[in-house]
Amino acid sequence: MFDAKMSDAGEVLLSGRFDASQVDTAKPVFDKLKKSCVVNFKDLDYISSAGLSVLLATQKRLNESGEKLKLRNLNKYIRDVFRYAGFDTVFEIE
Amino acid sequence: MEKRFKKSLDSLNSIFQFTDEFATKHNLDPGALFSLNLVVEELFTNIVKYNPENKNDVLIELDKKSHDLIIALTDFDARPFDITQRPTLNLSQYLEERRVGGLGIHLVKQMMDKIEHEYKDRCSKIILTKHLEN
Repeated sequence: MFDAKMSDAGEVLLSGRFDASQVDTAKPVFDKLKKSCVVNFKDLDYISSAGLSVLLATQKRLNESGEKLKLRNLNKYIRDVFRYAGFDTVFEIE
Repeated sequence: MEKRFKKSLDSLNSIFQFTDEFATKHNLDPGALFSLNLVVEELFTNIVKYNPENKNDVLIELDKKSHDLIIALTDFDARPFDITQRPTLNLSQYLEERRVGGLGIHLVKQMMDKIEHEYKDRCSKIILTKHLEN
């Protein structure tokens, strides 16, 4: 079960499994972002290239106006995927 | 273990149930299961997107022999889908231009130790091997 939502603290909270069938659920949440924002991966178990593409598209769009995504609480397997994809050079990861 | 899945993204949930069953049966660690899920999803979604001419089910076969995890996906009555012939993704260009496609196959190549492709009687089969630590 995947979910993407804004928290009261203004973070994007991801949970569950972000696979290719969940892009339509996640995209509206990321498309609404206009300013720099933290994306909290605390409850996210899994991500594939489909999810990475949503994040990269958002980062590129925000960068054009000097804003960015900051990623927090990635589990070690997701961290590995980010490294394989070179995304650790594109995102600030806490 | 083997099972056929409808050629649709809607199959992903049942595919992950299948990989979970396999992981439990063979006592795979969470890291190996993560890699298994990721490569199976990337290849399956590529078949769904780039070989949509027929609606045949896709066969997924999983096996563990000694310390090797072996994963095979077969697309029936299909054009060859040989990822070993795909050019290596230029990662910096991809990240710069956000070119569509290619990232999933790049991840598969990074995570697997051996990738083979067989094409016979219009069946396109990709066979992946990952050496496990235990």
